[in-house]
Amino acid sequence: MLRFLNIVAILALIGSAVYAYSIKYQTSFQAEQILKMKHEIKAERDAIAVLRAEWSFLTRPERLQQLSDRYLDLQQLSVGQIVAASAIPDKAARVDSIGQRLNSLGLDGSTSAAASGSENAPTTPKGTGRKR
Amino acid sequence: MSDDLRENTAPMDANASPTSPARLCEWLKRVFSTNSSTSVPRMRWIALIFVAMFVAIGAKLVYLGLKPEPTVIRRVSDAVAAARPDILDRNGEILAADVKTMSVFAEPRRIIDKDEATELLTAVLPNIEARDLRERLGSRKGFVWVKREVTPHQRDEVFHLGLPGVGLLAENKRVYPNGPIGAHVLGFANVDNAGIAGIEKYIDGQGLGDLHGAGFKLAQDDLRPISLSLDIRATHAVRDELQKGIAHFKAKAGAAAILDVNTGEVIALASLPDYDPNNPTDALDPLHINRMSVGVYEMGSTFKALTIAMALDSGKLNLNSRLDARGALSFGRFKIHDYHAQNRALTVSEVFTYSSNVGTARMALGQGVERHKAFLRKMGQLTRMRTELPESAEPIVPKTWGELNTMTIAFGHGLAVAPLQAMMAVGALMNGGYLITPTFLKRSEAEAKKDAPQVVKSETSEMMRYLMRLNAEKGTARKVDIDGYFVGGKTGTAEKVIGGHYSKNRLFTTFMAVAPADKPKYLFLTIMDEPQGLPETGGYATAAYNAGSVTGKIIERVGPLVGLPPRFEPPKLPFPLIAKLGYGAPAPPAAVTGGH
Repeated sequence: MLRFLNIVAILALIGSAVYAYSIKYQTSFQAEQILKMKHEIKAERDAIAVLRAEWSFLTRPERLQQLSDRYLDLQQLSVGQIVAASAIPDKAARVDSIGQRLNSLGLDGSTSAAASGSENAPTTPKGTGRKR
Repeated sequence: MSDDLRENTAPMDANASPTSPARLCEWLKRVFSTNSSTSVPRMRWIALIFVAMFVAIGAKLVYLGLKPEPTVIRRVSDAVAAARPDILDRNGEILAADVKTMSVFAEPRRIIDKDEATELLTAVLPNIEARDLRERLGSRKGFVWVKREVTPHQRDEVFHLGLPGVGLLAENKRVYPNGPIGAHVLGFANVDNAGIAGIEKYIDGQGLGDLHGAGFKLAQDDLRPISLSLDIRATHAVRDELQKGIAHFKAKAGAAAILDVNTGEVIALASLPDYDPNNPTDALDPLHINRMSVGVYEMGSTFKALTIAMALDSGKLNLNSRLDARGALSFGRFKIHDYHAQNRALTVSEVFTYSSNVGTARMALGQGVERHKAFLRKMGQLTRMRTELPESAEPIVPKTWGELNTMTIAFGHGLAVAPLQAMMAVGALMNGGYLITPTFLKRSEAEAKKDAPQVVKSETSEMMRYLMRLNAEKGTARKVDIDGYFVGGKTGTAEKVIGGHYSKNRLFTTFMAVAPADKPKYLFLTIMDEPQGLPETGGYATAAYNAGSVTGKIIERVGPLVGLPPRFEPPKLPFPLIAKLGYGAPAPPAAVTGGH
């Protein structure tokens, strides 16, 4: 009995030792992982800082002006090109040009849907619209 | 153990010498005998020796623990360029930022073969001098820089050399992506990332320098970015127009700025010629000073605005009061002339629009020397103006200030101030009378007006705005009357002092404009040093032609950028008080050419 207890105690000891070690190794592994992550974050932050500086270097007004002078046909905004919001005409009433055309062809909505439904449904309205 | 020893030593001793070996042998026998009577004290001795040894080792450990040899990192933290906060413009665009670079350092004490190290390092880093490096490596210092800010390729090569005692360190390097735009405001930082000029120096003065000095290692994310009042796009536009203007009118130099009159924020500032803060040695050239705050100039007729405001504010004169402007005004042997002489009595409004020297001189004389002086002091024109920028200049005030001085200072000669200082005063005349010290940091109107003293009445301010507008409509500042912005303006042409005399053909021209004049938001100032007359200007080099036309272009270009929407109908009742007092627009003056 005593021997059995001894053996159990020894096994428990070994078991707890193994467990303790595995926990310890896991902890240090995780700690290392955290450290690595921290380094990565720092490297990313530095890279972001560099990229941000580069972005503002590339989008500096001086350079943009040179590029636009060279490649774009833009002119300086003049006051005459600015219009007050109230001066813009109201939106025209919505006109169903496709429907009108269908009507003028003597096809009303329901028959055209039935007719086109069987054949090439998607192309018919598009074609009419473009012709307008 | 003891038996073995005895067996080994005894025969050897016996062979070596007959007398003393016998005694030695006896002694050894006694020492190493296992006799109980001798072994107890012997064990005590041994125990004592061991205890002493352990005490010594322990003491040494404690000693080492208490006095740690400074590690490389510790020694380096003083030398490494510290992090600085980013500087942003008012819209969040980056004006200055830190990027990480690698620097090569060495610890001379740990380098084994210094000649070999020198040879290898100079092979990899071609632009350092071998003899100089050998000298530095030969020093007894714990830490020396080999080369700051190496390229990534050089960094890898140095790493692959694998020299003991030579290492790499990440450092912060300050970069200014916009180059010379806004350079005078930003200033710059040196290779150790310490602020040397401009806002960079101001940041250090705000405690950053102290923190670094105390050894706090600040990372980038501990530092909040600093928002300036500058708008980088507007600054670029201003600089671009100024550059074109200087080239066109063949001026020696120039400067332009935009001030928000309600908050005192400097929205844009350009001073040409300028420098690139990425290459700070250029900044030391005296030609590259910030002409807006470091240079002091006689502002010419723009100062008339102050004189007229003083006269109106005192209540002695109103806009229709008449002043004698017949002929030149004599004082002793001096004579004051008008550039656009009308030779009749002028109203106060006409004095402003004709830019009459005689009229303003009489106005200032009417107030008296002491009140004139007190008014200018109240407007901050006689003392050094302090902003965030460490570079500033004291105004040049005449040592003895008599009536003649008052007369000339009334029209802007004889008192030299920093242009930004003059802007502050004119801004106060525009914004309802609050003298707000300009700032380069973002701030709100409430913050700005909290400590701002009211220096003139709000009625006076309205009258001044009316005069500025009138001058842009009908007077000398018509170049600046950009449709839709309801601009008001004042020209100023000062003759430069060459060899103690005012020179007729070396001019310093200024142009002050406010937009919109009814609800003032921005004050524009352009100054030009020695612009030349051109055939298209009829050979005139006065302010309206050069500084005025540049200001007009700046307003037109910058207006939409800085939230100044153009209006299509002129405001219905721009100056309610003027209308109430019944000052109609006076009879339009005859065409005036070339403001003075």
